Amino acid sequence: MAKWRALFCLAACLYPSALAISTEQFDEELTIRPLPDGKVASTFRFTTLLQGATPRDPQSLGGDDVSQHYTVFPLALGQILREYAVTELHLSLNAGKWRYDRWGLPKELGVGTGAELWAWMGDTEVTSIDKRWKGLRNALAGLFCASLGSLDDLRTTSPVQTFQPEGDLPDWDSPHDVRHASLPSEHVCTENLTPFLKLLPCKSRSGIASLLNPHRLFDADWHGMGVHVLWREKEGVEVRLTFQSVSDPLRSGSRQKQDWSLHSLFGRSIERECPVAHSSRVLVALPQDQSYSITPEPPLVETEWAVFDTTKINMPLNTAMTWAQNFEFPTEFNGAPLTVKRTLRGTSQAYGQLSITVQNRLSSELPVLYLETMPWLVQFYLSTLKASIGGKPHALSNLTYIPAIPHSRPTTFQMLLTIPAKSDLEIVLDVNKAFLLYAEHPPDAQRGWDLPPAILTPLVPIANHSTGQLRIYTPTLLVDLATPDFSMPYNVIIFTCSLIAFLFGNVFNLLTRKFVIIRVGSDKTT
Amino acid sequence: MPSAKTQLVQAVLTWDYNLIFPCLLAIRLLITLTGVQSILEKNHQLTTPLTSYANLQEGIYLFNRGINPYDGGYFRHSPLFLSLFSTILPNTKSTAYIIWTLCDGIAAWALVQIWRARQGISTSSRDLLITTSYLFNPYLVLPSLALSTSTFENTFLLLCIMFASQGKASFALLTLALLVHLSLSTVVLIVPVILLLLSTPKSQLASPHANPVDFRKGLHLLGEYLVYFFILIFTSTLIAGNWNWVSQTWGTTLTLPDLTPNIGLWWYFFTEMFDHFRPFFLMVFSVHLLIYIAPICIKFQYDPLFALFVLIGITNISKAYPTLADPGVFLTMISIFPELYPYFQHPIVTTLLHLHASLLLPLFHQLWLVQGTGNANFFYASTLVLACANGAALRDCIWAGLRIALGPEKEGYIVVQE
Repeated sequence: MAKWRALFCLAACLYPSALAISTEQFDEELTIRPLPDGKVASTFRFTTLLQGATPRDPQSLGGDDVSQHYTVFPLALGQILREYAVTELHLSLNAGKWRYDRWGLPKELGVGTGAELWAWMGDTEVTSIDKRWKGLRNALAGLFCASLGSLDDLRTTSPVQTFQPEGDLPDWDSPHDVRHASLPSEHVCTENLTPFLKLLPCKSRSGIASLLNPHRLFDADWHGMGVHVLWREKEGVEVRLTFQSVSDPLRSGSRQKQDWSLHSLFGRSIERECPVAHSSRVLVALPQDQSYSITPEPPLVETEWAVFDTTKINMPLNTAMTWAQNFEFPTEFNGAPLTVKRTLRGTSQAYGQLSITVQNRLSSELPVLYLETMPWLVQFYLSTLKASIGGKPHALSNLTYIPAIPHSRPTTFQMLLTIPAKSDLEIVLDVNKAFLLYAEHPPDAQRGWDLPPAILTPLVPIANHSTGQLRIYTPTLLVDLATPDFSMPYNVIIFTCSLIAFLFGNVFNLLTRKFVIIRVGSDKTT
Repeated sequence: MPSAKTQLVQAVLTWDYNLIFPCLLAIRLLITLTGVQSILEKNHQLTTPLTSYANLQEGIYLFNRGINPYDGGYFRHSPLFLSLFSTILPNTKSTAYIIWTLCDGIAAWALVQIWRARQGISTSSRDLLITTSYLFNPYLVLPSLALSTSTFENTFLLLCIMFASQGKASFALLTLALLVHLSLSTVVLIVPVILLLLSTPKSQLASPHANPVDFRKGLHLLGEYLVYFFILIFTSTLIAGNWNWVSQTWGTTLTLPDLTPNIGLWWYFFTEMFDHFRPFFLMVFSVHLLIYIAPICIKFQYDPLFALFVLIGITNISKAYPTLADPGVFLTMISIFPELYPYFQHPIVTTLLHLHASLLLPLFHQLWLVQGTGNANFFYASTLVLACANGAALRDCIWAGLRIALGPEKEGYIVVQE
């Protein structure tokens, strides 16, 4: 009898969690795409959907929150989202420069170098957005072992037009606002991947996530991870964990072919499926104009994609693609229809010139929103802003400018560029380089400062990218700021104070002491 | 009828000041045609964040587009400049050179008027020398070519002294209010200007005596000054739309948020200053200037113009964002005190120090920021040399101003301080 009772209790305990499973859905997907320049882009996507859930209303921040019970949904992330009442959150940590001209548009848009965090939050009188933003970045810094705490007021801006929410915003009384910050000098490595894997239900033990092998991922030419949280009114809260990498199969050895396999890319193959995954697919882009062979034979081919469902296929899965011919490096690339170059010119450490070239390869006019969120270190002179196409002046419109505050707020500068078909728009702008307090310099002061990427947002859909808003990041810049002598504080204080004391002493000496006439030299009377 | 040529020759021979003065101005304008100014414009010795033409242009650009230039940013000029250049004055480079040269012309003319008032004469053979020493002093020409707004400050300074010397109280106080509005550190000049209005600009250095001040009249003048000053504050607030301009202009000279190098003593000191001592030393550096007012005004009560001159020298060494125009105006003003010359102790040393500093400053600035072969200490050291040179000039002037009372030295006797 006691045995039956214990079993009943166990069943009763398990019941709520069993109920919870039905409201959580975990999907995983790996997309592999050979690139025109011989590299291979892979994108991991792990999507957890908390059905019917809503973000926390910031009005309820003062009181107790509802208790959180998840089975698949990452609790560590869920707690942060509830604690700071975050409606939508996007974090990306990338290393390297995404080459739009060769690789085209990425699967996941957030490819700016370094760390980038942006979040939509409801405003409330209980706790201000800025206070919660500070808490959020510190909590995420702790969770992902990244220096996100440095995304402070020096780097935080609120560019609403470029960072439109990907999901929906709840219809609360309080308005929503966005906070954005990027830290281009942040490096991504194993210590960020480990906590990332812990958020997955199967960790890296089974399913597609077992391919996330740090030795290979961080060896790739480009790699980056992302955490995206958004809310869809009809579905619920969605957490999308992504990892993108661009590997080079031609790099190793004397191979002349673009051949790759899961094992060659990640050093592993998928040994077993993730049991909680609702769907688990490996998608491989099939080349259109070259002869190749793919193993194992794909069970399903959707237009240009071979689809492997790991829940239905024989394990282990080691998808491989081999080409018949040697790889030939193309002379011309047909990458993204919109590319941008940004350089900082000038040799002086006091001033320079920012030069931006935006190229429109489309055969139609393209309106693009250009956004700079520049730290105060580089100061813009908008009065010197000049735009030209082939030497002819070109008008810019819809300028939005929030000037920086020295030692705190960054510049937010946004303009609308209308680029005619098949032309290059050149923009030049004089800039000043700031002089910092000696304590504001980083320990490796001579290295310079990384400046965050500028972001272009086409206002009409381009290429075959249809899902929402597109963002194109420029590469980061390095600015060389003048440094003081770091060993000199005492000397400078002593020299300057001495000089002032000397002047003061001299003036008061002259003013206060009495003038007297005295006899000197050969005195005839004595 | 004599030809124009012979007339000109005659004028030169007789030093006809009224004819030569426009010629000198024309030569100044011709210098701007050489295009030398484009390399001077961003020079840190000639312009500071508070006086730079590029910053002024940026502010006007934002102002004309409805963005308040005082909401953050680097615009630190007075709102009066904003309204002036966006309404009355044309805002192009070529007209700017004419305006700046005209300002220098007015300042040089004012300096001559001060000299005449001090001597109590209507014309003298020294006029031309004084004009030339202002219009062709490299310390004053170069900032003017770089379109630094310190040219305006110097013009207002000399106009203020001129009106005070001529006893035109209202004009003097109005220009003084403008001057203090543009450059907060000139607040130390209020007391000597009022003393000058109560007394005479005539040289009294040789005969020191107590000069009782009519305090009631002094307070009356101070009240009038404050009225002008508050009118300017009110106007500025109307132009700027809010009070942010106060922290962006005057606040900058007190809290030093912009550490762009200049020829002064503040920038490197506060670059290197430890964070927790920063407010203390900012206070010390600001208040330090005020210490000099009372002793100098008391000691030279019999010659307030000289007290004013000494205080200008002190301000220009220790202001937060000086340009070369600041020591320049002090050095040029020495020309209206020729009675001091026999009593200078070390004019050669002062000259050589200035020569040394003016050669080192551009060289070390270039080495540090452009060539990258020198470091910040190089430029800092040359600013120390310049401060020593200014200090030496100031010390010698004070010495001579006091020593003159004892008359020429006789053989077998020397004059010392007890």
